[in-house]
Amino acid sequence: MKYFLTIFFVTVFFWASDAQKKAVVLSKEMVTVPAGNYQPFFISETNKPVQVKAFRMDEHAVTNLEFLEFVKANPQWQRSKVNRLFADTNYLRQWKSDLSIGESNKKIYNSPVVNVSWFAAQAYCQWKKKKLPTIAQWEFAAKGAPKNLKSPSLTEYILSWNAKPNPPFLPNVKSTYQNAYGLYDMYGLIWEWTSDFNSFIGSQDSRGNNEVDFKNFCAGGAINVADKTDYAGFLRFSFRSSLKGNYCIRNLGFRCAIDL
Amino acid sequence: MQLIMFYNRCSAEFCGAFSDEKTTQDFLNIKPKTMSNISKETLVLKRMIFAAILFSSLSIFFLSCKTNSANATSDNKIDTVLTGTVTAELTEAPNVPKPLTYTSPKRVMVHLETIEKVMPISDSSEYTFWTFGGHVPGNFIRVRQGDLVDFTLTNSPDSKNSHSIDLHAVIGPGGGADATATAPGQSTHFQFRALHSGLYVYHCATGPVPLHIANGMYGLILVEPQGGLPKVDREYYLMQGDFYTTGKYDAKGLQAFDEDKALAENPDYVLFNGRVRSTTGPNALTAKVGETVRLYVGNGGPNLVSSFHPIGQIFTKVYMEGGHEINTDVQTTLIPAGGASIVEMKMQVPETINLVDHSIFRAFNKGAIAQIKVTGDENPSLYQKIKK
Repeated sequence: MKYFLTIFFVTVFFWASDAQKKAVVLSKEMVTVPAGNYQPFFISETNKPVQVKAFRMDEHAVTNLEFLEFVKANPQWQRSKVNRLFADTNYLRQWKSDLSIGESNKKIYNSPVVNVSWFAAQAYCQWKKKKLPTIAQWEFAAKGAPKNLKSPSLTEYILSWNAKPNPPFLPNVKSTYQNAYGLYDMYGLIWEWTSDFNSFIGSQDSRGNNEVDFKNFCAGGAINVADKTDYAGFLRFSFRSSLKGNYCIRNLGFRCAIDL
Repeated sequence: MQLIMFYNRCSAEFCGAFSDEKTTQDFLNIKPKTMSNISKETLVLKRMIFAAILFSSLSIFFLSCKTNSANATSDNKIDTVLTGTVTAELTEAPNVPKPLTYTSPKRVMVHLETIEKVMPISDSSEYTFWTFGGHVPGNFIRVRQGDLVDFTLTNSPDSKNSHSIDLHAVIGPGGGADATATAPGQSTHFQFRALHSGLYVYHCATGPVPLHIANGMYGLILVEPQGGLPKVDREYYLMQGDFYTTGKYDAKGLQAFDEDKALAENPDYVLFNGRVRSTTGPNALTAKVGETVRLYVGNGGPNLVSSFHPIGQIFTKVYMEGGHEINTDVQTTLIPAGGASIVEMKMQVPETINLVDHSIFRAFNKGAIAQIKVTGDENPSLYQKIKK
């Protein structure tokens, strides 16, 4: 009986670990976002419309399976080994263990990896010889007109996403809409890291008085905003302003980009 | 005591050295140059340790400079010596924490959690409320003038959005909002001295602020004067708010926020305590003939001011706008959006008092009614219905 049980458990174990091995990492394209002008969310002396050069961007967010390859190749980014300064205690907490997403998490193999810090996201992109997009690149890319959206307007679609509590299992990548540049799920699936996520809070030299004082914002926060009805934009910039580089959050993932 | 305060401030700076925005910004600068590959983590670590040492020595310097000058001043005749630590009792409306019994300032620990939650807004409609504590209005906070409030804001890991808090009782950047931009699953922490007594609104101050308020992110904090408020028989907590939904009043199913209606200041719902019939019928407040009832009434807005009126009663006392000026024998008192009022009534005869916003369509068609059921003996010398 004991032997039988042992064999049973060993079989189950191998079967389970096999499932993860067999799971196919989605092939991922990068698409070109053409050059254009980005009108920053905040208008100020230093935040003038910027020219965004053409760049390439991952068509969808980095998935759990993709990120698993990264931590296998870079053990210092495994959950039990990561430096706390670079990732807080929520780092990859949806996974079963260091090198296993978990059989019960099958549904999220091809869902965006979340609970990853800015440092981890940055390291992943460097490993792929890519980089995190800047706020300007991300925002410009996200402005691509939606191709197959069921909602009457993009803003309404985003706000309805904001109003829904987090689902127990995050849907897979490419499960929402695609935009004119060929990018999937820019809105409506997760928040995404950018390389300069909180740079708009203040200039690097904050001794001057030219900083965009986004944090004292009750009504004041709206003064310098280009489009005051862009509530979805407010939510996005507020979210970014509350982040720190080691934060790992349940609905925050990333995708990578390459400058051309 | 000042010394303790400054010590805390310094140590807070020290702890925050790794995580405050400045440092993160510094990281952003350092990163591309030094972190071109991950093996250089150690270099960054060394830099951080160096920064930490620098910070702590600066803090000690700051401490030694400041203590001398700080002793010379006292703020607003408030006793600055703290006499212990207490955890604030937090209550869900319509309940109010018990009156405070201590007579000298304490460090008061307050911990609020922001929670996004689908709840009924009427019998047929649901709405995704954003809340302080899982209900609308948020938890009632009660402190005493002179207390040092040690405030922690936690944002539930299940939240989609970042949140913060602006307490109107705080004198300091953003009323606390500057210190509390809180991402999902994270916590923020700040301290303030409750300098002025009164009844104050608190609300979320994360952009877009009107949306956060329209979704229910407000509550009340009472700063009792030194010596407390006069004793009454019952105390209750009511807070008015206006809501804007894509469907009409009581439309079936989950309703989304309607930005156009909100901008036009044309709400579908005007509610006490976040739900149609939250405080009527079986949920009505109760009192007995002969008792004095005190209501702490806030108005979260976001848009409307309230003409607060008790049908079949008269406010014997109104602490106007929640301050110290007391008006007596008032029929209807104005409660501004983002403001509050303390009202008292003496229960004279058995009746059901309808508390309404006397902009009366709101009470009749949009839900702005709360009730107090008064039980006890009839008093024909005060009121009687004459039958033919």
